[in-house]
Amino acid sequence: MSASAISRRSILAAAGIAAAALALPACSNAKAGAVTTIRLQQGKPEVVDYFNGLIKDFEAKNPDIRVVQDFNGGNWVPGLIRDNPADVVTNAYSVTTADFAKKGIFANLADLPAASMADPKALELINSFGQYNGSELSALPFSLAAAGVIYNVDLFAQHNVKVPTTWSEFLAACQTFTAAGITPIYGTFKDSWTLGQPYGYVSGGTVDLADFFSRMPTTAADLKNNPDVSFTKDFKVATEKFLQVLGFMQKDAGSRAYTDGNAAFAKGGSAMYMQGPWALSELTTINPAIQLGTFPLPMSEDPSVTQAQVTLDMTFSIARSTPRMDAAKRFVSYLMEPAVVNAYNNKFSAFSPLKNAEKTTNEQVAGLQPFITDGKYYLNVTNYFPPAITLNNYFQTLALNKNTDAFLTTLDDSWHRVAARNA
Amino acid sequence: MTAPASVRTVAPAASDTALKINHKKRKVDPTYYWMIVPVLVLFAIFSTIPALIGGFFSFTNYAGYGDWKMVGLRNFQNIFSDPEILASYAFTFFFAIVATVVVNVVALLLALGLNSKIKFKTGIRGIYFIPMVLSGLIIAYVFNYLFSNTLPGIAEALGIAPLATSILANEQWAWAAIVFVTVWQAAPGATIIYLAGLQSISEDVYEAASLDGAGPWRQLRSISLPLIAGYVVINTILGFKGYLGTYEVIVALTGGGPGTATQSVAMRIFSGFSGGDYSYQMANAIIFFIITLIISLLQLQILRRREVSL
Repeated sequence: MSASAISRRSILAAAGIAAAALALPACSNAKAGAVTTIRLQQGKPEVVDYFNGLIKDFEAKNPDIRVVQDFNGGNWVPGLIRDNPADVVTNAYSVTTADFAKKGIFANLADLPAASMADPKALELINSFGQYNGSELSALPFSLAAAGVIYNVDLFAQHNVKVPTTWSEFLAACQTFTAAGITPIYGTFKDSWTLGQPYGYVSGGTVDLADFFSRMPTTAADLKNNPDVSFTKDFKVATEKFLQVLGFMQKDAGSRAYTDGNAAFAKGGSAMYMQGPWALSELTTINPAIQLGTFPLPMSEDPSVTQAQVTLDMTFSIARSTPRMDAAKRFVSYLMEPAVVNAYNNKFSAFSPLKNAEKTTNEQVAGLQPFITDGKYYLNVTNYFPPAITLNNYFQTLALNKNTDAFLTTLDDSWHRVAARNA
Repeated sequence: MTAPASVRTVAPAASDTALKINHKKRKVDPTYYWMIVPVLVLFAIFSTIPALIGGFFSFTNYAGYGDWKMVGLRNFQNIFSDPEILASYAFTFFFAIVATVVVNVVALLLALGLNSKIKFKTGIRGIYFIPMVLSGLIIAYVFNYLFSNTLPGIAEALGIAPLATSILANEQWAWAAIVFVTVWQAAPGATIIYLAGLQSISEDVYEAASLDGAGPWRQLRSISLPLIAGYVVINTILGFKGYLGTYEVIVALTGGGPGTATQSVAMRIFSGFSGGDYSYQMANAIIFFIITLIISLLQLQILRRREVSL
């Protein structure tokens, strides 16, 4: 009995010491002036260290603010449910993020100086998903990941193929490679998500996506108005051209996955590869000697209308409910400084969404730079689909069965079913 | 063992009055409560209550976050008019039936073989049970590689054109690959149950039969099979229930593809968590729960008639 009493007492004592130890630094902070702690929710695991560096720099310049990085993306929604979301959150802006914006989760950032520095085109893409209260700006663009057709520079030179600037030049290039016994494009549609890249290039180059999706019905009420807009009508050409592109892929594309594609393309297995910039570092890891370039897929005979495909790979938003709004805005303003934006995007083969941004020094994606500079870019089509639509599976069915009409009808039906569920 | 004094043995001869007297006093050893109550509480907190909450949200338009309101039975109505959900039910039942049949046939054959007097019986049994200790996900990823690379490679070398592309990329036959992997993984478990059944049959019966002139085939048909009928029922029921919830093998093999050819109900339900489709898939889960409940009750009924118990 006595033994257990002693141990209980000693545990309490230990707890007391621990509590005192925890309280001490808090006291010293309080003396140095009020320090506000804000939380940054950042969900990209590969840039956690980079952001820790940014935070250090920011804290050195702003001693009254402390920033804690939370890199578990899964904490965001539970935070909302507990009414205690992170103060600043990074998102790849898509229809899913826009859903938060529509529910009024994010603060209006239109009055931040950074908002006027951003490329109007990038802001337009963010706002194309709908604005809270009709005019608010819910996110600031930090990084554009531009994607195009990755090509093997040496193979192009060997066969005297120039980077195509029109659709017919692209077809001619493919035929040249086929005639030479080289697979023009490596397909990996066992991983159905990889089909989102080629479909994105083809549809983004033939349809005004932002306009199309702003007219599509999203609620049961919209459906009642019987809108005169559908995939069947507007995506037929794109889908047929998509199948044409797929026709230039190797025969066993259906049983090849993303990693197979990286390995094959890096070893010269094909002339072109339709993947995003995330594949570039993998390709150079497999074959450090490979020379790579990227060009936007031209979808018409007029080179001046060709556009590049982007995703709003990283945007910043501030939780509307945060009591630390001032500190959060200062932090976001710091992150949006041109020097910070440029350094980040150069490091991660992405593009700055600011006006008059520095040009990229990365040869592999430099082919897309002129289009980004001129604001000629569109958002990947998959960003507009709510996750409830199993889009990638439909792509795979289309790639295997080559039935354009069935694919488009499925998309329409599926879109309408999701809309009917939304009141 | 801890408090034998408090155990009150009620003799079988005790009359009703004796029982009533005892009723107010402690009849049952509290140890049993200590065993059952914590489990009951944990089960309620982590299983029953979440299930009830999910059931409640199936009547709302809750996305998993943000505002929501009651929508009555709308989710349920939408499910019955959603061809993809209906297709996933059709696929799941088709898969469960095929897998149950194949697993039991294979397991029974294996058990008969492993129960006979063969050389290295113990070693061979051990080899056949290895798949059981591996996780389904690992097995499926290994077979994914075999189906996508090795098998087409062999087929191409031999000039068998239809097999030169992966079976996993074939909408008509991808299910066969899933059944194959499921059988590969599940057969050992069923085999153990059949072996237990076969070993419970006394040698005397076979001896007597052979004295009466019954050959091996006759012994199998008239002795082994009737005497392990109860085990067949157990294997069928447990297997069918398990295959209805099939998930990880499909995820690792086809991810529901090619296209939407191999999507199971469990996969559709799980997709609701990432898709902002929480309440809709909750309604799907409730429907699936009711269906499996009905099937389980029917199976229990069959079990009782068969006079075997789980």
